[in-house]
Amino acid sequence: MDAAIIPAAAFAPPPSLPAAAKRQRLDAAVVRRTPETLHPALWLGHQLGRTGAQTVASGFARLDAELPDGGWPRGALSELLLAHPGIGEMRLLAPALVATQREGRLVMLFDPPAALAAAALAALGFAIDELLVVETRNDSVWALEQALKSGHVGAIVAWLPQRLRAERLRRLQLAAHRHDGVAFVLRESAAAARPTAAPLRVALHAGGADRVQLHILKRRGPPLASPLELELPSVLSAAARRRSANGSAKARRLPAATFIDVA
Amino acid sequence: MLWVALHLPLLSLESFAATLAGRATEHGIALIDEHCIAAADAVAIAHGVKPGLKRATALALAPRIVLGQADAARDAEAMRSIVHAALAFTPSVSLQPATEPGSAADIVLLEVQSCLRYFGGSERLLERVRASIEPIGHSLRIASAATAQGAAILAHLEPSPLCTTLEATRCALVAAPVWLLGPGRAHWEALQGMGLRRIGDLLGLPRAGLARRFGETLLAELDAAFGRRADPREPIVPARAFESRLELFARADSSEQVLHGASILLARLVAWLAAQHAFVQRFRLLMHHETRWQQGDRTPRATALEIALAEPSRDSAHLLVLLRERLAHVQLPAPTLELALQAADIVKRAAPNGELFPTRQSEDEGLVRLIERLQARLGVGGVQRLCAAEDHRPERASALRSDAVARPSRSPRTSERAATADAASLPSALSCPRPIWLQQPEPLAEREARPLLDGRALALLSGPERIESGWWDDDVAERDYFIAEASDGALVWIYRARLPLSSSGESGWFLHGRFG
Repeated sequence: MDAAIIPAAAFAPPPSLPAAAKRQRLDAAVVRRTPETLHPALWLGHQLGRTGAQTVASGFARLDAELPDGGWPRGALSELLLAHPGIGEMRLLAPALVATQREGRLVMLFDPPAALAAAALAALGFAIDELLVVETRNDSVWALEQALKSGHVGAIVAWLPQRLRAERLRRLQLAAHRHDGVAFVLRESAAAARPTAAPLRVALHAGGADRVQLHILKRRGPPLASPLELELPSVLSAAARRRSANGSAKARRLPAATFIDVA
Repeated sequence: MLWVALHLPLLSLESFAATLAGRATEHGIALIDEHCIAAADAVAIAHGVKPGLKRATALALAPRIVLGQADAARDAEAMRSIVHAALAFTPSVSLQPATEPGSAADIVLLEVQSCLRYFGGSERLLERVRASIEPIGHSLRIASAATAQGAAILAHLEPSPLCTTLEATRCALVAAPVWLLGPGRAHWEALQGMGLRRIGDLLGLPRAGLARRFGETLLAELDAAFGRRADPREPIVPARAFESRLELFARADSSEQVLHGASILLARLVAWLAAQHAFVQRFRLLMHHETRWQQGDRTPRATALEIALAEPSRDSAHLLVLLRERLAHVQLPAPTLELALQAADIVKRAAPNGELFPTRQSEDEGLVRLIERLQARLGVGGVQRLCAAEDHRPERASALRSDAVARPSRSPRTSERAATADAASLPSALSCPRPIWLQQPEPLAEREARPLLDGRALALLSGPERIESGWWDDDVAERDYFIAEASDGALVWIYRARLPLSSSGESGWFLHGRFG
């Protein structure tokens, strides 16, 4: 017989199953067809959002687990709220920004609140001479829009002025669609009371020496119930960390040398 | 030989319209010559204003019409930009001399036989010519013929014939009216009286008689048009440096009107650059002010705005954006009457290839343009780079510099440098950690020999690190640095000054930075 002719028996329906087995197969079929299994971009309200978009790994595994799509979003604003600069925000953002620089893209900082120390940035892994600092006096929204719309900038970190109007932030979020890297906007803590157009909003608080507490206030998915504590790359030696951890009950801190005026 | 003639029938009207600098022209524009209308635009014609009417009649028909006079020098300036646009296609470009003395030449002749193959045929070439002249804003009639004079004559016809061979040219000319020839217009009544209306009618007549009756020039033109006589044309060579002026119809009070005039000058500059296959590195816009506003000798007669580009460019939109941002910062002392654009600093280069997908080079170019735009609006000091300096004093160890910004440095050593920096700096990071944020040293109050920040005591965690430096200039620093923890958990960098204190109220503790 010719091998190409398939015997008719191969097309016969399978023999009928007992009723219990049939029901199990039906249940399995029903489970397989829930929304989040149908398509990678679908998610239910109690799950963490998935858009299938690319993200930049934040460098902290516990944070990546809580962020939708596993990292800082690309092409959208990520809003960080701080009470004052200097609670570890740069050490938190450093892994993502350094990764952008390693790819060869440009990182731009808009209106940093104080002078930057080149040695500290180099210690975190930045390439100092490939960083641009833009000082916008009153035109911060215009300058950010230009940088986001150009689409050639790798990562943007911007310190926005106080009490920014909501429609300006919305304009920036629309402009961010043409940007293909991360865009962080850092604002004052009081902005938490007002709604935002950014899809991710995180409030930062200092949680002790070299620790930062993150409250994820808005993300694609359910809000995070309890704050996330992250360990930052340390600037303290082990002894200093132990000293810090030994509670505030004792007055054991390092006594400073008393100043003796020999004049 | 294939000659293409570009005829601008409304040259004077359009060059007058350019001087209006964007003012409302919804009521029509017309040109006047000795109290009679010489030319009118479509809106004016719709109102009933026709060439030949008296000025008073025209004003009665359309009271809000804008009237002006033709200016040969202004027309010649406008023609120059058309010539430059044509030079981008072929080096043999010449102007057909004007038929009437006193009016500007309004036909440009191009010899394109040698470049037909490069442009892919005459239809494509003519399309590209039309597309390149469109931004300059003149209406155009294009005709082609085998002889230069023939093309110049056929360009007046509507619709303009496109003849590629000598026979076709001769056929088209035979049917053309006789007043298209220069001397034919002068002797029009005589020719009409003799019943000679088409050029073909002249061909059958004895040549000696024609020459005696109407002059040698008529015969010469006929022969040149029909290809029986050599007609060499001198090609135009573009000037080495670009200079163009535009006198505005009314004084420009706002920067928008100045920008409208400047955009016309920029379109001319781009045409000149395209003719040279070059890019501009630097150009200057001069705004001449009204002299009536001068108070003594303090007010300058002209304000100059110099724009220097980091990357040579030929993109008129980008140049206009830079001009707009710079103009926003300039305070003009008086209204502007005349604009002049000068450019001498050009770079001859091949045009960059257009790319479908973004590459490293196109990204670099895009970044350079972004930095230029930001600097144009925020000032040169708005965009800066961080530089590390060799100094132990923390406030001098890093500085922001704006002169090294222009090109984003992209060296392939970055990844290796980063790797070595990682390996080498970690131990040093622990031994002398530096805060990311540095501020002006802020004096702190003291209680029980402990410094206070915002009323709460700071807990010293690590230190002291002694920095003694700067004995060679006046800024001596003798400090003991500590890392302290504030009440909310943030780490701060404070120091204890070891020098004698200037005022007795200070404790000697200063806050110098925060660990971000």
